[in-house]
Amino acid sequence: MSSRLRRALVDAGGALVFPLIAIVLSFVLGAFIVLATGNNPLTAYAALVRGAVGSPTAIGRTLLGATPLIFTGLAVAVAFRAGLFNIGGEGQLYIGAITAAWLGVTLGFLGALSIPIVLLACVVTGFLWGAIPGILKARFGAHEVITTIMLNYIGIYLTTYLALKPLRTEGLVPGTDAIDFAARIPFIGLGLGRANYGFLLALVAAVVAYLLLWRTGRGFQIRAVGLSPGAANYAGMGIGANTVLALAIGGAFAAIGGGVEVLGVYGKMTVPFVTGLGFNGIGVALLGRNHPAGVVLGALLFGGLASGAQEMQFSTDVPLQLTSVLLAVILLLVTATKLVELLFGKRARALAGARLEKGLG
Amino acid sequence: MDEIFGAPGQLLASTIRNATPLVFAALGGMFSERSGVVNIGLEGLMLISAFAGVVGAFLSGSAVVALAFALAAGLVFALIHALMCVTFEADQIISGTAINLLALGGTGFLMVSVFGAGGTSPRVEGFGEVPIPLLSSIPVVGPALFSQSVLVYLMYVMVPATFFVLFRTPFGLRLRATGESPEAVDTAGISVGRMRYYGVALSGLLASLGGIYLSMGILSAFTENMTNGRGFIALAALIFGRWNPIGAAGAALLFGFALAVTFSAPQEAIPNEFLQMIPYVLTIVALAAFGGRAIAPAAIGKPYRKE
Repeated sequence: MSSRLRRALVDAGGALVFPLIAIVLSFVLGAFIVLATGNNPLTAYAALVRGAVGSPTAIGRTLLGATPLIFTGLAVAVAFRAGLFNIGGEGQLYIGAITAAWLGVTLGFLGALSIPIVLLACVVTGFLWGAIPGILKARFGAHEVITTIMLNYIGIYLTTYLALKPLRTEGLVPGTDAIDFAARIPFIGLGLGRANYGFLLALVAAVVAYLLLWRTGRGFQIRAVGLSPGAANYAGMGIGANTVLALAIGGAFAAIGGGVEVLGVYGKMTVPFVTGLGFNGIGVALLGRNHPAGVVLGALLFGGLASGAQEMQFSTDVPLQLTSVLLAVILLLVTATKLVELLFGKRARALAGARLEKGLG
Repeated sequence: MDEIFGAPGQLLASTIRNATPLVFAALGGMFSERSGVVNIGLEGLMLISAFAGVVGAFLSGSAVVALAFALAAGLVFALIHALMCVTFEADQIISGTAINLLALGGTGFLMVSVFGAGGTSPRVEGFGEVPIPLLSSIPVVGPALFSQSVLVYLMYVMVPATFFVLFRTPFGLRLRATGESPEAVDTAGISVGRMRYYGVALSGLLASLGGIYLSMGILSAFTENMTNGRGFIALAALIFGRWNPIGAAGAALLFGFALAVTFSAPQEAIPNEFLQMIPYVLTIVALAAFGGRAIAPAAIGKPYRKE
């Protein structure tokens, strides 16, 4: 084994230590919660696993759930690499969704040809929307954590307005007109149920994010600003420009996620629309150590839990919201460096902790 | 004007009611952030307390028990945040985000477990209005300011009280010093960790007052995600008010006014959705105008490690 490969494997192993500890601890805690509801944790978890990966349909449901989370996870991860916290994935996804709902109908006559155009439009609107907190930060020093959260609400109200007033159609469920089936992202088939090719697009997006961050000069600058703003500034890299760009690129990723949900799953934007995808993207990114490959793994875990939760609620009477609690606990523990040190000694922390601390601006 | 916004007295009363949870949460955030711990979990602290209060009232029928439930829930969640941030040196923003998700998921889970269904809880006896004799009979201002729930009067008291504690007591001095220069505090023989636990615990107690006022002062039931961003708006009020209790309360009143307008402005003239955006837009404007120049406690966000 070459030394480079070995180092990469040790690095990957180290990066997995924290998330795995967090996942195991949260499931142990979850077992007590299940016990408290008067159910057998083993039965509940067996149903959870069965519902996530027990059959091709279950796997399809997991992939379907993971797809938007890969996009919103990337939205968080790219910004995080520049030392920025993008909590605006929810609003950014909505902006993409309304873009797709509108253009998908308007360009529906083009059939499948409209799909790339619509998704490209999502990139543009998401990029512009995502740039807003970047500009507010770079120009006015407004903290992006609060501005992105506020922009979530603004984005949700704005898209609600558009879906209910100018784009509203007659129908039982309030929302936009349905997009022609020929202009939607097709199902994968293979017995995977409603899973669509959006999942493959999400994988492509993860590769693009990787190449962008690690194989381009601009990506180098974004990461340099995240690692050491002072040094990046001294080297002549504009902190402001890279701040705006990182948040804008993040916004574009989340917006494609919204576009894929509309083109692949719902075929329109309803009011209310699916919620929580942006927020869960934060958990996905943190669990995946803000690396595109980790984001994919994290999204598959989240998607699997969401899919399994339905089976769990069906066959035991544990409310499916249990998985939201598990995810919150995972998130709570995933950066607790000192906890790992207390449990497993300083070496484990040195192995696992060093990389994360570098990533946090 | 009257037919557009209702009588001025009504708008003022509504401003006070909407500002109250924000003031409590902002004052809570002040104790936490002044000690050096960022608390973006205020939203979750309010939400879990709003829920716990309703459960307490549902089980006992007593407002006092409800209040005790709310304070306990806020305190427990705040202590989880402190445990993560102070003891385990976790990232404070991530821990706060997790607290928010835990409160959202946890209340969703418990709604089903306790009340059998999600959405809105059964109605409970809320905090009624207690008019203060004489003061409440002042024209216009009287009914708006002094014909409110006991929690609103508590809010009036808490603003100067927080100011006094922070700036006029040894405890306040130590707390502020912990947020500015933990090394100096440590050298003086005071435990940085303990001061931060106190700060975060106080933020939990104060945020829980805001939470229970939402579910049992304004409404008489719990609705899922009923905080709807108020914890974050409170955080912006704290920054806008430059980490000063009086300033933060003033900013919270401004945001409370924006929320009040949202509920009382005419629906036909401006689409509802745009009115509902106002508080959030205002928050961004306030941050952009003042956020950059506000000076945060120097050691905020950094875990303290003894050398």
